[in-house]
Amino acid sequence: MIDINPDIEFKKEVKRLSNSSLNECMQCGTCSVVCSLAPDDSPFPRKEMIWAGWGMKERLLVNTDIWLCHQCGDCSTHCPRDVKPADVFSAIRQITYRHYASPKFLNTILSKPIWLPVAILLPVIVILSILFLAGTLEIPEGTVNYSKFFPHAWLNGSFGIITVIIYCFAISGLIKFRNDLKARYHDAKAQKGFYRRFMTTSNEIVLHSKFSTCSAQKSRKISHLLVFYGFILLLIVTGFAIIATLTHNYPFKFTNPVKIMGNVAGLMLVTGLGIMIINRLFNKINYGNSNYSDWLLIISFFLLVISGGIVELARFMNWYYAYHLYFFHLVCVWFVIFYLPYSKLGHMLYRTIAIGFAKAIDRK
Amino acid sequence: MAIPHSKPALIVGGGISGITTAVEIAEVGKEVVLIEQKPYLGGNVIKMNNYFPKLCPPACGLEINFRRIRQNTRIKYYTLTTLLEISGEKDNFSVKLRSAPQYVKDNCTACGKCVYVCPEERPDELNYDLTKTKAIYFPHEMAFPAKFSIDDRYCKKGSCNKCVEVCEYDAIDLSAKEEVFFLEVSSVVFATGWKNYDAGLIDNLHYSDFKNVVTNVEFERLIASNGPGRDNLIRPSDNKVPKDIVFVQCAGSRDENYLPYCSAVCCPASLKHALSIQEKYPDSRIKIFYIDLRVSGRNEDFLNKVEENRNIELIKGKVAKIEEVGDTKNLIVEAEDILSGKKIKHEADLVVLATGIVPSDATLNLNKDQNGFLTEIQKEGIHAVSCCKKPMDVSSSVKDATAAALKAIQLTG
Amino acid sequence: MEKKTGVYICSGCEIGKGINIEKLSQTVTSEQNITVCKNHSSLCSVEGYELISRDIEKEKLDSIVIAACSPRVKTGIFDFPETIVCERVNLREQVVWCYEPGEEDTQMAAEDYLRMGIARVKNILIPQPYIADDISSDILVVGGGITGINSSIEGEKAGYTIHLVEKEEKLGGWSGKLYKQIPDKEPYNKLIEPVIKEKIRDVEDNPNINVYKSASISKISGQPGKFEIVIQNRHEQKITVGSIVASMGWKPYDANALTHLGYGKYKNVLTNVEFEELIKEDQERQLAKSILFIQCAGSRDKDHLPYCSSFCCGTTLKQAKYIRDLSPETSVFIIYKDIRTPGLYEEFYKEVQKDDHLFMTKGEINEIIEKDNKLQISVKNTLLGDDIEITADMVVLATGMTPAGTEDLNLAYRLGKGLPELKYNFADSHFICFPYETRRTGIYAAGSLRVPMDISASMEDAKGAMLKAIQCIEATKRGEAVHPRSGDKTYPDLYLERCTDCKRCTEECPFGVYDETEKGTPLPNLNRCRRCGICLGSCPERIISFSDFSINSVSAMIKSVEVPDEFEEKPRILVFVCENDAYPALDMAGRKGLKYSPYVRIIPVRCIGSINNVWISDALSKGFDGILQIGCKPGDDYQCHYIHGSELTETRSENLQETLETMMLEPERIKTEFVEITGYYKITEIINEYVEMIEEIGPNPFKGM
Repeated sequence: MIDINPDIEFKKEVKRLSNSSLNECMQCGTCSVVCSLAPDDSPFPRKEMIWAGWGMKERLLVNTDIWLCHQCGDCSTHCPRDVKPADVFSAIRQITYRHYASPKFLNTILSKPIWLPVAILLPVIVILSILFLAGTLEIPEGTVNYSKFFPHAWLNGSFGIITVIIYCFAISGLIKFRNDLKARYHDAKAQKGFYRRFMTTSNEIVLHSKFSTCSAQKSRKISHLLVFYGFILLLIVTGFAIIATLTHNYPFKFTNPVKIMGNVAGLMLVTGLGIMIINRLFNKINYGNSNYSDWLLIISFFLLVISGGIVELARFMNWYYAYHLYFFHLVCVWFVIFYLPYSKLGHMLYRTIAIGFAKAIDRK
Repeated sequence: MAIPHSKPALIVGGGISGITTAVEIAEVGKEVVLIEQKPYLGGNVIKMNNYFPKLCPPACGLEINFRRIRQNTRIKYYTLTTLLEISGEKDNFSVKLRSAPQYVKDNCTACGKCVYVCPEERPDELNYDLTKTKAIYFPHEMAFPAKFSIDDRYCKKGSCNKCVEVCEYDAIDLSAKEEVFFLEVSSVVFATGWKNYDAGLIDNLHYSDFKNVVTNVEFERLIASNGPGRDNLIRPSDNKVPKDIVFVQCAGSRDENYLPYCSAVCCPASLKHALSIQEKYPDSRIKIFYIDLRVSGRNEDFLNKVEENRNIELIKGKVAKIEEVGDTKNLIVEAEDILSGKKIKHEADLVVLATGIVPSDATLNLNKDQNGFLTEIQKEGIHAVSCCKKPMDVSSSVKDATAAALKAIQLTG
Repeated sequence: MEKKTGVYICSGCEIGKGINIEKLSQTVTSEQNITVCKNHSSLCSVEGYELISRDIEKEKLDSIVIAACSPRVKTGIFDFPETIVCERVNLREQVVWCYEPGEEDTQMAAEDYLRMGIARVKNILIPQPYIADDISSDILVVGGGITGINSSIEGEKAGYTIHLVEKEEKLGGWSGKLYKQIPDKEPYNKLIEPVIKEKIRDVEDNPNINVYKSASISKISGQPGKFEIVIQNRHEQKITVGSIVASMGWKPYDANALTHLGYGKYKNVLTNVEFEELIKEDQERQLAKSILFIQCAGSRDKDHLPYCSSFCCGTTLKQAKYIRDLSPETSVFIIYKDIRTPGLYEEFYKEVQKDDHLFMTKGEINEIIEKDNKLQISVKNTLLGDDIEITADMVVLATGMTPAGTEDLNLAYRLGKGLPELKYNFADSHFICFPYETRRTGIYAAGSLRVPMDISASMEDAKGAMLKAIQCIEATKRGEAVHPRSGDKTYPDLYLERCTDCKRCTEECPFGVYDETEKGTPLPNLNRCRRCGICLGSCPERIISFSDFSINSVSAMIKSVEVPDEFEEKPRILVFVCENDAYPALDMAGRKGLKYSPYVRIIPVRCIGSINNVWISDALSKGFDGILQIGCKPGDDYQCHYIHGSELTETRSENLQETLETMMLEPERIKTEFVEITGYYKITEIINEYVEMIEEIGPNPFKGM
């Protein structure tokens, strides 16, 4: 027995984020059938659509199925009432990050265009303050050397601390999410051991196997794979770079394998993100509605990679504006890495947890 | 005694609505001209096996209506004729009409000799092209007017001439030309009717790809005693009697991608089909997948009859996927059974898509609503009636047609 | 006076190949005292027509027999002056096309049919229409709701004077009580003002519409063209009208029976009608925070109204829409079985659905209880995957409609005060093709009295019924029948001197043509007659006849058949077929080349209910071995055009079978079968099986006596 007490604000937020006329859903179940990921027993997204329409926030925020959806858009393409289940799911996921993220204000400043100046000012002020503390708040003379502008120790130290803080918050959110899931699905028994769950989950993520089943968005698997691996690769490269600043003579030469790896990763990301942008701009029917959060992530990610490339080039070319660009690049890094748990990229974290949990309760 | 000659009303379309409007006006005592673009009167209903909820044959009412037309000198009808232009105002319209070439003249006795010598074939429009007839053909056994017709897309005319040679009554003129003529009329009623939605456009239901996926109107023919299977229901892939049949409601209807509206007739029509199958083949199994069962008014009894039948299952949930089984050409339909929340995959011998009603193409530039239906009052004296105005069942169409007759006699007074 | 008859035999369309035309004409002329008998290779040609026309002129023929194709074709060609009796003998569809060419049996069939045709012609008359004096062109409309009002307006526009009788003191009926109305065309996102206001004004301002308010009808007597109406308002008024539209409308289902949904138990449970009135009274009222609608409250429910009233889904959506327009804080819940917004109403449904404060699910109400002044509604079998419990301030029950009933018409008819009603008391037509078919000629039901319907459907229905009312007046003026034998100028002629007051005709006439004297003598109201001939069939004294269809005309046909003696082993079966369905089915069987026994002789009748027992006995004494009567389906889904014609025949045959048994005859010698017009395969099977059975039983012992 469900006690009905519709959360109309939640419903309105879902509608705002998804641009779906949610209420027009007539519960025909087309979406559940055309979805290749929906299981045979209580498939999604039909039931979630009526829950959303009835403002049943708790049911939707603590829900494995919301995360089993890879937003391929097949449901939206076939929906007879054009209520875009895929976008509704995406909206619910966004509301989920927000729900579990803290501090909340970081969420807020990323949620609407009106807050964008604040979202930009925050990293600008913090980085300027660090530079001020480091005493390097000026454009250095001579050949371009970014460590003159932002000494490695200061950079690694400050960004490292921020990372630790942000991700502590993130982890606490994830733990809460997992505990909520456990409470919600307390009836479902764990079906598999941790090892097998871990293996199947990572297998699914590594291979992107769920993406292949999509029919509405053919190029989506490729673009997502490119971005996914490009991002992982860049994280690794960054790791190397941090170590290198301690042990080696950084920056590397252009021919250094790590450098090459970094550039390859950059290219992968640019290609992947490029495809995504084109699809979202020109194929709205199949790729659904792109809201502010989608664009904020894609654009900041894209700018991160592009600015990274230019910063590298600027060093070689010894441009005057290299430091300005470097500063811009750091702001982009902030947007992608530090805002990650609060932005759409948070799905990396929440989806992993949710899929892992779904495997645990044998939700196929 | 000289009766002041009043102008007739013009009825465009000789389906059940047009026939009704014409007959009802004429029986008040006014003049009517009825035009029909096909070679026979009866429109879509002549193709139907039976009517819901009585499961009675349309031919029964048509026979009476044809007799009413035959015996009433106030009705003039022109088949193979279309309306080209209307000018003027109410009570005083001038209409331009075109009659397609009348290759077979009115003195045809329908003896049928020509058919045996005709070497050409044409897809039989009456059977939605599921079967063929000769290029010279008798539209159907109850055809009114009872004469043969020639499909000039297939007839080789003078280079063949076999039918002309065999006809004892000099009833065939292969050099006939179309005729354009004018009439003065007091009012015009559009009863141009409907056609079924093109199921080929619904990509996930594979109407064009799988032979055993048919539309509900084709099914009317498949089960009709004068259909392709004679007195047997057959499925297209192998002419075998299907025993497991699935009806897909709202195929393309209530769907923003196709027809956004509901056609109001498909639910009772599928129930009717299900009962007709059961009557003929009591061991058959039928599943009807629906979103909402729209069987209004007293037809509820009819729905109860279906619900009581143990071989007919009604499942809330729309079929959104159909796959073909390679060797048997059976079909696997997939839907979510919404009330149990489980996906169903069911293998069927035949799948019937309950496609909706779209207004027939209009020959003239008329006022339409967003869905292409004609607006009821085009201008004073020009009305649209029944299914070209909005989707409705036969009984409502006849009712609407009778109402239109009243509007027309208000002008022919 | 003996008629002068010309016989014309066509040899076209294989008739000449199937039978020996020469022999046929010789046989006929020699036996029948026919002086003019001609053959032609194509009678339907211009030459053929001219041949006959010339003879009519030259030979002074007063009757002709055309032995050619079915009378269902070439009707326009064989169109001779009305003073000529014309009989078509169907040699093509029902002899040549269904029997083996050149065989003796085929020839015998052709000869018999020609004999029968000639016999008929000799025994029928040119119809002289019955045209009463002083036919009124006024029309009475009973019930001043939207249907009656629209009917009056539209009928007046066609030039007729209307008398509109309303029992309340105000016109408008239920539609007058509406706050808003559902849009029935674009734009669908706005409710419209009830159209009734303007219509009431139109009616009241119109000098040709006489409105009687707070009035009732105490008596309707008479017949089309001349209905005598007694109206009671303050005083008694008498008017004469030509026809009547009955639009007494509907009543809401009595919600007191819905205690399981809290009605009468909790003050905040209302019906949709009560809710509408509440809002119409005062739109400023503070609306509750949450209102829940229960669809099909007492509808589609075997314990209450088993049918769907078709307006409640739309009405609830409308009410939800104006609640939301009036009160931005209110949430609306709708619990439904199926949302029935057929046709373009789907667009309206979608528009209403857009509202964020609207919550809809399919479901069944488990229980409604009141707690802390709020209502708690628990619902099962929902779309939410679980049972739910909703707390609401108000519950609106979407109750259905029941027909108002027609007893108030106070018809002074032998068959009752009201219109015959179908299931659930709706005065509907039973026919899909003929929605205004009525069993009380000249009285047409319209609107929700007939079928549950909404406002826009009622307004359309009002026009249709009015057209039929007008048509009935005009047909009566011409002395013609209305549907289904429209245009028929014959009528039943009663030779009352021989009447024994047995009341069969008054009881069996489906249309209530006959009133009765106290003694039981029938008093015919000819304009009520639909010419089915059931009275002719019912009369044991054989005193009822039509000019072209009588005891004698059919008896003569039966007696004209040459029945071979028993040693020839050629049985003869008389088959009466309904001219509307079985006869065309046989024609189509012929067209399809389906073969059946040549031992049958077919006589079409207006309805198998018009078969008189005397014909059966005539046939048996003539030596026929069996009599088969093929009519239309009886029962709940009857297809008989005259309602119970085939049913009556079945009962009569059962009685006859008993009589046969007392005469030591096999009861199977009389059989009734039912066939649809498309049952051409079936009808040939029926015939063949029956002939086989008769062959097994053996010849009629009365043969040759």
